[in-house]
Amino acid sequence: MGISKDRIKFNVGGRLFETTATTLANAGRDSFFGALFDDEWNLSPPSEDSIHFIDRNSDCFSVLLDLLRTGDLNVPANITERLLHREASFYGLLDHVRAAKWGPFDGNRLRLSDSVKGSAPGDGTAIRAGPDGGCCVAHGSVVHVYDWMLEEHSPINLDYQRVNDVGWIDSDNIVLSACERLGRGEGGMGLFSSSSGDLRYKFQVCHENQVKSYTAGALSFSPDYKIFSSCKGRSNEYGIGVWDQITGKQTDFFYESPGWSLGDADKLQWLNGKNCLLVATLFPRKDNCYISLLDFRDKNMVWSWSDIGSPMAIDEKRVRDAIAMEDSNSICVVNEFEDLGFIDLRMYGGSVRWSSRSKLMKSKMPDEPCYPKLALHEGQLFSSMNDSISVFCGPDWVLTSRLRRSYGGSICDFSIGGDRLFALHCEENVFDVWETPPPPII
Amino acid sequence: MSNQKKRNFQIEAFKHRVVVDPKYADKTWQILERAIHQIYNQDASGLSFEELYRNAYNMVLHKFGEKLYNGFITTMTAHLKEKSKLIEAAQGGSFLEELNKKWNEHNKALEMIRDILMYMDRTYIESTKKTHVHPMGLNLWRDNVVHFTKIHTRLLNTLLDLVQRERTGEVIDRGLMRNVIKMFMNLGESVYQEDFEKPFLDASSEFYKVESQEFIESCDCGDYLKKAEKRLTEEIDRVGHYLDAKSEEKITSVVEKEMIANHMQRLVHMENSGLVNMLLNDKYEDLGRMYNLFRRVTNGLVTVRDVMTLHLREMGKQLVTDPERSKDPVEFVQRLLDERDKYDKIISTAFGNDKTFQNALNSSFEFFINLNARSPEFISLFVDDKLRKGLKGIADVDVEIILDKVMMLFRYLQEKDVFEKYYKQHLAKRLLSGKTVSDEAERSLIVKLKTECGYQFTSKLEGMFTDMKTSEDTMRGFYGSHPELSEGPTLIVQVLTTGSWPTQPAVPCNLPAEVSVLCEKFRSYYLGTHTGRRLSWQTNMGTADIKAMFGKGQKHELNVSTFQMCVLMLFNNSDRLSYKEIEQATEIPASDLKRCLQSLACVKGKNVLKKEPISKEIGEEDSFVVNDKFASKFYKVKIGTVVAQKETEPEKQETRQRVEEDRKPQIEAAIVRIMKSRKILDHNNIIAEVTKQLQPRFLANPTEIKKRIESLIERDFLERDNTDRKLYRYLA
Repeated sequence: MGISKDRIKFNVGGRLFETTATTLANAGRDSFFGALFDDEWNLSPPSEDSIHFIDRNSDCFSVLLDLLRTGDLNVPANITERLLHREASFYGLLDHVRAAKWGPFDGNRLRLSDSVKGSAPGDGTAIRAGPDGGCCVAHGSVVHVYDWMLEEHSPINLDYQRVNDVGWIDSDNIVLSACERLGRGEGGMGLFSSSSGDLRYKFQVCHENQVKSYTAGALSFSPDYKIFSSCKGRSNEYGIGVWDQITGKQTDFFYESPGWSLGDADKLQWLNGKNCLLVATLFPRKDNCYISLLDFRDKNMVWSWSDIGSPMAIDEKRVRDAIAMEDSNSICVVNEFEDLGFIDLRMYGGSVRWSSRSKLMKSKMPDEPCYPKLALHEGQLFSSMNDSISVFCGPDWVLTSRLRRSYGGSICDFSIGGDRLFALHCEENVFDVWETPPPPII
Repeated sequence: MSNQKKRNFQIEAFKHRVVVDPKYADKTWQILERAIHQIYNQDASGLSFEELYRNAYNMVLHKFGEKLYNGFITTMTAHLKEKSKLIEAAQGGSFLEELNKKWNEHNKALEMIRDILMYMDRTYIESTKKTHVHPMGLNLWRDNVVHFTKIHTRLLNTLLDLVQRERTGEVIDRGLMRNVIKMFMNLGESVYQEDFEKPFLDASSEFYKVESQEFIESCDCGDYLKKAEKRLTEEIDRVGHYLDAKSEEKITSVVEKEMIANHMQRLVHMENSGLVNMLLNDKYEDLGRMYNLFRRVTNGLVTVRDVMTLHLREMGKQLVTDPERSKDPVEFVQRLLDERDKYDKIISTAFGNDKTFQNALNSSFEFFINLNARSPEFISLFVDDKLRKGLKGIADVDVEIILDKVMMLFRYLQEKDVFEKYYKQHLAKRLLSGKTVSDEAERSLIVKLKTECGYQFTSKLEGMFTDMKTSEDTMRGFYGSHPELSEGPTLIVQVLTTGSWPTQPAVPCNLPAEVSVLCEKFRSYYLGTHTGRRLSWQTNMGTADIKAMFGKGQKHELNVSTFQMCVLMLFNNSDRLSYKEIEQATEIPASDLKRCLQSLACVKGKNVLKKEPISKEIGEEDSFVVNDKFASKFYKVKIGTVVAQKETEPEKQETRQRVEEDRKPQIEAAIVRIMKSRKILDHNNIIAEVTKQLQPRFLANPTEIKKRIESLIERDFLERDNTDRKLYRYLA
């Protein structure tokens, strides 16, 4: 008796389905099914034979019903992603689909899930993964925003100002840093809506109580709601600016000291454990490389490294990217031959310990080189070189995986976030999406 | 004609219009609108959720989201306007019920409408950042019902009226009240605060202002506090029953302000029932209530404490400066102890052992005990009394308690060194006369003094105990080496170290031959075992037991002082002796001799001698005979010496002088200690530091300190700075 009452019949677009209330309860109250079986709507007691009619696509319904039954998403070839998302959206099951689509991120189990072709050729500046699976691609003065379904939203257009860096505050807000436009007082840093592309807030730099126009460079965010950006002003406002994410006000400024470079920085990285900001200014933006850790509490440069005065013999090993690894108390750097090097953070004025892996690459350099980039995610180190990304693991950073795709040319930037890895290729602006498949059945 | 039509068609094709039917949106909306009506009219049984959901979905999909959203708002607004008219029409008591009913209906309808519009809620509203359906429904209710002019004030007045009625003792429908208040909370914190809480607090404030005025005119302090406490718990209950928990703090602060803070002074000082009255009559319950209520308001406890302190000081001042009380030191100290016990109990039972009150109690006692310069002496006398006789038959634990209480009073003393002086004197008397009741109690008190004031304070007192012990051993040794002495008179000597004991000038006297022989033997024994010492006899402090036979053969053992013994022994050889003869034979100083003869001849019942002529005073021409008719029912008779227990005026001054004299080296030592570490210091700082350092023993007089500094400068310990005369320099 109880079992038969639990049974529910549907007629979806002419096809009969039978399921249970328990299965449908997995959809949650904020879904089509949640409302349909709410007491308020269940005015007439369901008889054994009552069939609920739904005027929707039956193939998709079958996929989604299966999703509610098993938690797995199995999409037959005849159903496009767009159709599936459309139907899931109708039933209020988009979150279920997203959760089933890919598993927790693991650099060694990635598979290519999609490639999205950009709208124009030429070097993209940066790609940044959003917190919920979307991403944005900076390209000249435009930033293209994609949601997790890889649907493109209205782009953010800065009207011919070059975008230097992009970052996600949350799934709805993106910060852009842009070049100053001489004489127009524009540029700097702005907060934009990721869904509509509208400007929501403009961050200002004040120097001696005067608002200054400036060029904003690399960006970084801290968990205590701060935004950091390298800044170049007209006169002496060179350095690192700090803003509060909530009030939008500038809260601090670390001025560049003579003989050192901060305002031109290529990379900023907030180190939560050390309560410091890593600032790296690298070749070829400058003739020399400058890497430093800044402590904003007492305005102190607590650690620094530079290749000024290094012997010419290792000149070919110029540092092209750097990333701090707090767990191993070191900074990892990479040169244009994808040699990884390590600098000890506990020593002041240490040197780079290069772990030379491949000299073979040297002869195969493409005509238009893309410089290597580094990323760190839960103990896995990622390094891009030409058209592939290498994954290194363990205390000795052994190469464990290599992600490669032949189409699109060299990788100019990549980013990890929302359990996905996005790699931007320099030709055609095509970007790849790499995901970890859902965990195995048993 | 046909040509035109064709062109029109072409333009449409070019635009890629999806919606073929231009009236599509209107039609769909009409279906939804009708459904909303039916839902509000509770006639939703015929509705198909699937159809409505699909229609709303299609409208959003075909870019009619805005039309849908606006339509929903318009329709709901119209419905709510209608509802508010119905609510308004409800009469009297049914008004709130109607409102509550409609509110529940609205919530139900809103839920269903949200279900239909779920897709719009998730997509259109999300991307356009408009207000979601549910909060929008609440806002519309707020604007069209709660804020509807004909409902707004009526609703508020109804609610306030109900509260008022409950305050005056009526029973109201708390469930309904809770539902309506909950509606305010659901509409948002600001709605609750603005539309209910604030006016509620204002009305409460007004109510309690009037009521407290009424109470204070008609009640005494205790009753008033009872009523205030009751009101406070009522309001807290009210919050628990039907208000937001966050209101508790606010409403209690209103009651506190109106009922307590505003009448604080008047309550505390209320005649015949205020704080002083409660303290005097030990009204623990009222005091506890006052403490708990006043604690809630700023400065409440300060007020209570200040009044208590003032009363304590006044009472204490009267107590210690009353000349009648100074007559009996034991009673004087006992009264102090009783007062302290009383207030200790008040603080522990009524004031929750509040530290600040304890401090106030202590500072008050410290204040008035030191008003009477004789307090140190009296406290020592109290101890003396207790240790002589008062502790007989009292358990050890109780003895400890009494001693602890005495120590409490001792702590208040500023002139602890004066106490020490008296204590030493009294202790000496107890020890030498063997009057002390319990050795253990004596030692226990010394230990207490030691922990309080340090080793230095009690070292001499302890020396006195050591002397007593060594004397016992010495006597054993003496008689051990002189076995022939077991016959004849027994001599017991207590050898006292000079310095440890209160010094008294040694009064010479001629001892009877029998005794002086013994004394000589002891002297040679003692000096033989201890080289380099000097013995002198303190005959004025000794006692003797002598056997006497009177005229009719009646035998008695007389317990007398050494002087009295010397006098009585003379009568072994002669029947009658004149004063002059006695004085010559004994060489006792006149004042002592007179006292001694007085107690032998003039005290009724103890007059072993007869004086001629008979009178109270001893004259130089008097003569004495043995009183043959002496009779007593006891075999042992104690002949006392007339000794004043309390000090006489000159004695007192002498003690005082000695104390002052003893302070000088202590002050000098303190100055030198301080200057040795500081090297340079100005006058005011020296005074301050010396006073601080000597505080545990006595309160140093600044002029005395100044004198000591001068003296040290004269003796080249210090010098004045050449440029700044106020600076002193330490000379190593």
